[in-house]
Amino acid sequence: MASTAAVPKLKRGGRWSPWLFALPALLVYVGFLVYPAVSSLFFSLTNWDGLSATYDFVGLENYFKLPSDPVVVTAVKNNLIWTVVTIAVPTVVGLLLAIALNGKVHGKPILRLIFYTPAVLPLVSIASIWGWLYNPQYGAINSFLRLLGLDGLAQAWLGQDSTALWAVMVPAIWLRTGFPMLLYLAALQGIPNELYEAATVDGATRWQQFWHVTMPSLRPAHYIVLALSLIDSFKVFDMIYAMTYGGPGTSTQVMGTWMYFNVFQYYQAGYGTAIAVVITLVAIAVGIPYVRSQTREAS
Amino acid sequence: MTTIAPAQVTTPAQTAAEPVSPGPKGRRGLVMTFTLAVIALFWISPLALLVITAVRPLSDFIGNGPLSWPDQLTWSNFKDAWGIGNFATTYKNSAILAAIKVPLGVLISAMLGFALAKLRMKFRRTVMFSVFLGLTIPIYITIVPVFIMMRSAGATDSIFGLIGPYLAFGIPFEVLVLQSFFRQIPDEIIEAAKVDGAGDWRVFFTMILPLSVPALVTVAILDAVATWNEFLFALILLSSDAHKTIPVGLLNFQGQFANNNTGLAAGILIAVVPILIAYTLLQRWIVGGLTAGSLKG
Repeated sequence: MASTAAVPKLKRGGRWSPWLFALPALLVYVGFLVYPAVSSLFFSLTNWDGLSATYDFVGLENYFKLPSDPVVVTAVKNNLIWTVVTIAVPTVVGLLLAIALNGKVHGKPILRLIFYTPAVLPLVSIASIWGWLYNPQYGAINSFLRLLGLDGLAQAWLGQDSTALWAVMVPAIWLRTGFPMLLYLAALQGIPNELYEAATVDGATRWQQFWHVTMPSLRPAHYIVLALSLIDSFKVFDMIYAMTYGGPGTSTQVMGTWMYFNVFQYYQAGYGTAIAVVITLVAIAVGIPYVRSQTREAS
Repeated sequence: MTTIAPAQVTTPAQTAAEPVSPGPKGRRGLVMTFTLAVIALFWISPLALLVITAVRPLSDFIGNGPLSWPDQLTWSNFKDAWGIGNFATTYKNSAILAAIKVPLGVLISAMLGFALAKLRMKFRRTVMFSVFLGLTIPIYITIVPVFIMMRSAGATDSIFGLIGPYLAFGIPFEVLVLQSFFRQIPDEIIEAAKVDGAGDWRVFFTMILPLSVPALVTVAILDAVATWNEFLFALILLSSDAHKTIPVGLLNFQGQFANNNTGLAAGILIAVVPILIAYTLLQRWIVGGLTAGSLKG
């Protein structure tokens, strides 16, 4: 701690004072997050159906069942595709928008507002809006294609295996571009102009300036954007549930939705929680570097 | 290290200055503005179409197609959607929930953030690490036990049953932001207050909180948006129509109105309008919170 020298004043409240401040939040956090998460570990080792008063302890059976469940295989694949695409596209588009908005452009506030707006809408409403746009007969997307004379491309975007997952990712990208854009914009404004002036004097082209001045200066922003996107993308549930319900067939199932269906529709709460445990462990493993960096920074 | 240091960003001295200056600035500015305006038009077109569709009669929409300019305008879609979508109830539920959850969440998170940032707390790093770890934990790992807890407490199908889980999942982010903001408050002023005999509680309520209003407001806004939008807990814990929140209500409504395109558009708009208004009015705070480096999640 930086302020060790000033410790006496901090003693005033007594040894217990910090804990009195911490207690309400910690109790809620442990009671409604840590404890339930840990008890899920226990349920995942049982064959509980979610309703009965009794259940058996079955050890790791649920976990062994996972690899042979074809839906889990699909879900894992979908989770991976989802994660890669919903990180890569919003990050790149957000960066490009930020760079453009950081230049000499008129109407910056309104442009920024427009690009960030989807990020604040309720996820379910975004799902509704896009479900409505994708409507095969009356949806704006097919109408637009017909308007361009591309009638052949009009199709039931959410209703067929080949397009459903991609169709659900579009609104996710729409929703998730605003945050990197704002963060990059803030970071770009922090790059001192002298760096660019010096680079210009050295005869660097715009492209060279981008790679040798802009990108390195944005490293902290890249880190935050990527870490948070990664943590977020793994948790996908709402969008898929509200738009396709995992269908058609099982083509858009992800681990989150498959867990939900097992618990609340197929009465396999034990198996469902095993799925949740797996995705949680992966999410924690992926998130730990970020959590550590935030903890370290605060010390 | 990974922070966007506030000192860098809160001085937007060169905000408007173009980093690279060769060429005719004016013309390039116009070309860039035009390009961005076209992209922005596409970006906002789903919402624009939603508004246009919501104010036209269904017959007009079907007759002329979704991309046409309306021949007739009407408010009846909103009236229908409001009644059938049960929005009076879901609005009230979401509003009550946010009104209880947000201030409570910000307060207890600020208290924990204060302990972590300014008090000599044992196991400080362990507590911090454990709390931040919550950022990575998906809600659905907790739903089975939470459902059981709520059922045995008789708190299912009540918005009050949602408060605990909502608070818990809001805490990691709020504490992360607030403790980093509190840390920037100089120790000297706290010491001065202590010398004058102020205890920790007085320091917290009369100095830390007033000095942190920007951070508190930012966190409160983001928390309100998150609370308003939350879906999974509401989906599993609320069953009767009288207790549903906006997202769950909207999902039901979507099913009922599947064939009524204009009514559906009006209903979706009704659900998002409060968030859009709040965001438009408060966006300075949100963007301000971001550029102050306090927003990291």
